[in-house]
Amino acid sequence: MTGGSQAAPRRGQTKQVVAALQAALAAEQAASYGYGIVGAHLTGARFAAASADVVAHERARDSLTAMIAARGTQPRPAAAAYAMPITVNSAARARALAILLERQVAAAYLGLVAASDPALRQFAADHMRDSAIRWARWGGRPAAFPGLPPSSLRRPG
Amino acid sequence: MRAEPTRRLVLAAAGAGSLALAGCKGITLLGSRPKPGAGVVALEHAIAAEELMIGRYRLALAALSSALHTTGKTKAGASDRAVVAGVLAEHREHLAQLRARLVLPPRLATATPRPSPTPPTAPSVRHRILAELATAEAAASDRLIRQLPAVPPALAQLMASIAASEAAHVVQLGYSRLAP
Repeated sequence: MTGGSQAAPRRGQTKQVVAALQAALAAEQAASYGYGIVGAHLTGARFAAASADVVAHERARDSLTAMIAARGTQPRPAAAAYAMPITVNSAARARALAILLERQVAAAYLGLVAASDPALRQFAADHMRDSAIRWARWGGRPAAFPGLPPSSLRRPG
Repeated sequence: MRAEPTRRLVLAAAGAGSLALAGCKGITLLGSRPKPGAGVVALEHAIAAEELMIGRYRLALAALSSALHTTGKTKAGASDRAVVAGVLAEHREHLAQLRARLVLPPRLATATPRPSPTPPTAPSVRHRILAELATAEAAASDRLIRQLPAVPPALAQLMASIAASEAAHVVQLGYSRLAP
């Protein structure tokens, strides 16, 4: 009986962790797809940067896929295509898309940062940080709280 | 014959001493403040680190302004100052959010405010100023991430976001930035 009552919250926690992993995976899948569009409109050093960034997102996607599978759950497959938040028809728009993708990815790791498992927290925080670095490299407007929704901030005083 | 009262006195004194010691210990135990939890300690460290960072940025801003004054206004100098002022504003926001989460019961709260840590003197050369700020940002970001396991989930989210912001500051300060 005691084992059963303890197992229920544990199952709930696992469910929450898997949901957070799936959310991060969805964002990484969309970013992996989106960087293909970004790279197609860039040349030279910027194309090289986009190529490096897509590899980073693909690696994160693969890690998340493995983490979900290790928890006995089927990772949600990537969509065949993603609707991008902006139309890309120039190098400037490509950079703007890269910034938007990174903002979405940073926000998608927030749930995982709240996990009780320290290794998961570390993984999520590292990826949030990488995303903020890429966002800044692409010339994104600085943000004091990358990934955090404004509603989670407290009014000081 | 003379030894007996002396022995009794010694025993009595020893008993009284141990009672007094036990009494003192009891009073000390009752009077001591309970230790704050690991989350509170991590939050206090994060607050101290932000205070230190703000001090660094103030010094850097003063040094950049004085460099502008002596060498004359240059486009690069004015741009550096604007970047540093922008990042300083973000650190103030970080500090305000961290402080808003530090709620101590009266017994744990210290009676006098803790003095802000003194930042080291800002270097005079422009690129050294920015390089030192970038190094401090990278170290602060790493430190925050190391503290994450000790804090509650909502605070972990705030601290991870601040760590990400601090890592982005390194880029904003001109290190490994892609030219627009």
